[in-house]
Amino acid sequence: GELYCSLPNPRNVHFESINMKNVLHWSPPEGTADGVLYKVKYTVYGVGKWIRKPECRNINRTWCDLSSETSDYEEQYYASVKAFLNGKCSDWMETTRFNPLTDTKIDPPLVSVSSTDRSISIILTAPEKWKKSPEEESISLLQVYPGLQYNVCVLNKKTKKRWFFSISNNTLVVPWLEPRTVYCVSAQIHVTTPVLDSGFSKEHCITTLKDK
Amino acid sequence: KIFHLGACRVSLSMTEIRAGFAAIKADIQSRDPIRTLSILSHPHSLHKVKSSDRCCIAHQLFTFYVDKVFRHCRTEDSFVNRKISSIANSFLSVTRELGHCREQNNCVCGEESTEKFKQILANYEGLNVTSAAMKSLGELDILLDWVEKSH
Amino acid sequence: DALLPAPQTISIISTNMKHFLTWSPVVVQGATVRYSVEFQGEYEREYANGSWIPASECAPTTATLCNLTDDISATVAYKLRVRAELGATRSPWATTEGFFNRAMTSLTPPLLRVMADGNHLLVELEDMGPSFQFRVLYWKKGQKSRVQQKVMKEVSSVLHLDTMEAGAEYCVKAQTHVQAINRSSSFSPTQCVRARGDASFWLT
Repeated sequence: GELYCSLPNPRNVHFESINMKNVLHWSPPEGTADGVLYKVKYTVYGVGKWIRKPECRNINRTWCDLSSETSDYEEQYYASVKAFLNGKCSDWMETTRFNPLTDTKIDPPLVSVSSTDRSISIILTAPEKWKKSPEEESISLLQVYPGLQYNVCVLNKKTKKRWFFSISNNTLVVPWLEPRTVYCVSAQIHVTTPVLDSGFSKEHCITTLKDK
Repeated sequence: KIFHLGACRVSLSMTEIRAGFAAIKADIQSRDPIRTLSILSHPHSLHKVKSSDRCCIAHQLFTFYVDKVFRHCRTEDSFVNRKISSIANSFLSVTRELGHCREQNNCVCGEESTEKFKQILANYEGLNVTSAAMKSLGELDILLDWVEKSH
Repeated sequence: DALLPAPQTISIISTNMKHFLTWSPVVVQGATVRYSVEFQGEYEREYANGSWIPASECAPTTATLCNLTDDISATVAYKLRVRAELGATRSPWATTEGFFNRAMTSLTPPLLRVMADGNHLLVELEDMGPSFQFRVLYWKKGQKSRVQQKVMKEVSSVLHLDTMEAGAEYCVKAQTHVQAINRSSSFSPTQCVRARGDASFWLT
């Protein structure tokens, strides 16, 4: 049976999700130093049982990767954590209801840029949904969020002028540029509903070639 | 935005409704302590509904929310009540549009989705009315996710 | 309560999906009169026993104007009402005649700035809030039959519209579109700019 449960509870039990890599995080019980161990369980909302996560049994870290267990984004989930120290335990502390589709964050797109003397070509790649193993089939977030769009920023480093493009497909050619000029490109993913915006990618700078 | 649900086209301010729900989701779901029962998603998932049945079951679901759910969700929090009112009024105009479409179009519920909706009502009637209404409201994103995926 | 008269001349001013209720003040010498505003959507009338909901920003307020934009957030017919309050005394409610539907909002053309940067046609549009999209029409001067169109939503910066032929003059105009009510404003005045002229661009 359970031990005597008077240990303070783990705090701030929540999912941190990026590209549907769903990791449970929490903070140690108040006032506890080292030596606290934890165990984790989760449940699919609406299904009748809680399932223990063996790899997160008697762990001393304060996170547990539940990506595999929560990979079906047509379902919603709860997870829960219990702490143990010196023969005492805490209560089970639950997350709020986790909906992978709306509660995940999205990484910026991959940006690749090439140039001629008077144009730059930009290719954007949306991140992939988390997958169990490299062998598993890749699912682009474009398939998960069909309304996904890209906002692209092109900065002329000489004139310091910044232009924005909003595109649905993943390629953009900007012609009629100045030769021998540095242009810096960054891009963001924008999903209208559910509202999900990635940050902007870091800038990719390229110099247009010498005038032919 | 226009959504195509089977034979029906319906205009739905999805961004506004989702924003309204997101603002009260934590509050509403915290009022539902039952983890082991879902009104909409178990035992049958909405995502298994055949596309030909979508307009019919969508009309039944939006009507279900307007007729049965929202009226039992009044809270002590006026912010939450205002958001519920906004969603309810949006659902009302969607229900009307779907109703007109059903009358004019081949928007018949097949056996499977009739069974599915019966299951939803059974799940609902299995709880006391306030708990059932709060749980249903807390599952609004399940309905919205399905509408967007079916579109 | 009858001592405190109900506010008079109540009316709704709605422009670009911003909705305000206004009324004339109830004057009580030496006292500060407050007002409370409530709204009722079609849902409340038909499914919630005609219940009324306190407005988010004006329950109570000392102003004689109430911003109901966040409250009127569905495209259905709303009723609105306001009453005066002085201490524990309440006036009767003054209720709007007829109904208000946000589809009746008046839509004004967007503020538009058109620029040429070399051979690039750029526009800046005023941010009018999440309900708004912008339909931008542009054409090469003299070729009005070959008008091109872009629908834009992100407006927080300088937007790239298209590239221009060297030396050519291009004209642009825009209108707003609100999907939630499926209506558009009239067009902004047309603005024309000229692309850089050196033909060297054409030789490469």
